[in-house]
Amino acid sequence: MNRRTPATTAARAIGVVVLLALTLFPFYWMLSTAVDTSPLSRGASLLPSGLTLEHFEHVLVDAGFLRYVRVSLVVALGTVVLSGAVALLAAVAVARFRFRLRTQVLVMVLMVQMVPLEALVIPLFLQARTLGMLNSLLGLTIVYLGFSLAFAIWNLRGFVAAVPRELEEAAYVDGASWWRMFRSILLPLVAPGLVATSVFSFITAWNEFIFALTFMQDGSKYTVGVGLRTFFTQNTADWGSVMAASTIIALPVVLFFVLVQRNLAKGITAGAVKG
Amino acid sequence: MSTAAPDLRDRQDGAAPLERRAVPPGRRLRRGLAPWLLLAPALIVLGVLLLWPMVRVLNLSLQDYELKNLLRGDSNYVGLDNYVQVLTDPFLWQIVLPNTVGFAIVCVVLTMAVGTVVALFLNTLGTAWRSICTTAIMVAWAVPALTGTYIFVWLFDPQSGLVISALDGLGLMEAGSVNWFTNRWSFYAIATLNVVYHGFPFIAVTMLAGLTTVPDELYEAAALDGAGAWTRFWQVTVPTLRPIIAVCVILSTIWDFKVFVQIFLMPGGDGSTREVMNLGVWSYTQSFAQGEYGMGSTIAVLLTALLMVISVVYIRTLMKEEEL
Repeated sequence: MNRRTPATTAARAIGVVVLLALTLFPFYWMLSTAVDTSPLSRGASLLPSGLTLEHFEHVLVDAGFLRYVRVSLVVALGTVVLSGAVALLAAVAVARFRFRLRTQVLVMVLMVQMVPLEALVIPLFLQARTLGMLNSLLGLTIVYLGFSLAFAIWNLRGFVAAVPRELEEAAYVDGASWWRMFRSILLPLVAPGLVATSVFSFITAWNEFIFALTFMQDGSKYTVGVGLRTFFTQNTADWGSVMAASTIIALPVVLFFVLVQRNLAKGITAGAVKG
Repeated sequence: MSTAAPDLRDRQDGAAPLERRAVPPGRRLRRGLAPWLLLAPALIVLGVLLLWPMVRVLNLSLQDYELKNLLRGDSNYVGLDNYVQVLTDPFLWQIVLPNTVGFAIVCVVLTMAVGTVVALFLNTLGTAWRSICTTAIMVAWAVPALTGTYIFVWLFDPQSGLVISALDGLGLMEAGSVNWFTNRWSFYAIATLNVVYHGFPFIAVTMLAGLTTVPDELYEAAALDGAGAWTRFWQVTVPTLRPIIAVCVILSTIWDFKVFVQIFLMPGGDGSTREVMNLGVWSYTQSFAQGEYGMGSTIAVLLTALLMVISVVYIRTLMKEEEL
């Protein structure tokens, strides 16, 4: 495995180039189309036919995409705050206490993540309609809280369990109440996990499509994903604008992912890989 | 909070203080109650937003339910009629189920193969190149399914997409002469590419994490016994990583069965081309385009049942590997 002959080095270099090219190409194609002066006649040329920001300008100024961005941001940030708080409490419960039905609770948390959104969209749509919660940012936030919560609990559980119990006991010995210990010991130590979990909740809400499409029927309440569809007409698409808007949607997510990748990979695989 | 609660009780109920004195302000009682207090908000949210709707969808699947039933607030039970109708519909057996199951199987196999090969390759690299490649993979993972789908639709655009332009340039095909999105096979080939591209990073990252835990001695011992790279992979790597591979396969299966956005957002994928429908899209369009919420629920229940079977296998595998 550690042989370093010229042949293996060359093979490795080719492998790296191929891997990088294939993984990044779709992303590159999106970016380069978004800044292309005439994307529809670009054909197969790898470089854009000219650089321009007019698609971004069209998307943000003329088409009012900023409005959709604002809706998505409000909903996603609301989801992050609510699901972080609720999940942290639940994660402490399952990681720190041994109680009857604990395993059953964990199995339920795992199981509900498998429920397909297509099955939930019908009853939740009917319920929201009855309650007058369609076209409501709060309604959508509450629904996303439900979807992001199970994973957030599962993810945070590992981070809470990793805090040494001795630290908690030391706090109790010093006369701290449970709440004091939670605030001064547990919360700071779990903070990195909370960040990773928040990023994931944000992405869940930011990327979600089915519920946003079904719940938000008023054009002023579109999220970014649903708003993207306004650039398509019957048979044609304004690809420059679609890709510019796609860039606006994808960029924050990609940046978040790359920034917290270490934590994120650890959290996601915590259920799969030991330790 | 723990001090406020007994105060309230004192004022409302004269017997409570006695009880509390009998059981000394017990840490035991509070420790028994504490996890449930902490869990309460989460359980309420999951119950209201996930479990109750599942009950409701099951209930709806037994009704001929349309918007007028909702407005009138009545129910319209028809027993198992919807199930009989769906399960005897040749459309399910010839189009929808093959599209769902066949597509999922192909995607899982390809995602696992690509993910594993990439993980094995990354494992041979030095730290610097490995982290550069991992970052690139993260980008592929992070591109939202929604925008990723539009990128692939644009790449395969029949008029001016990259692929047709390249083929046109080579003189193989004329731009605009073929629409890949109207043919079931080419439609799903593009969808497969999209799903595998989006799905392999998780497998690669997880497998890489697993590969780093395999002790080098095992490979050295196998090499001494004369095992080649291929044999070492199947005789050492695969058995050691069996639990991780199992989890990856099951999770991919679950994800690939419920692919919705990647199909729905492709041209014709929203139900207008009937022969590319899968279970999720069928359920959605039956409900929201046709207004037949009962029938849509029935299809959704069938999809959920399919996923639950796989989920049970997943959780059993997980429970075997790890103390929850």
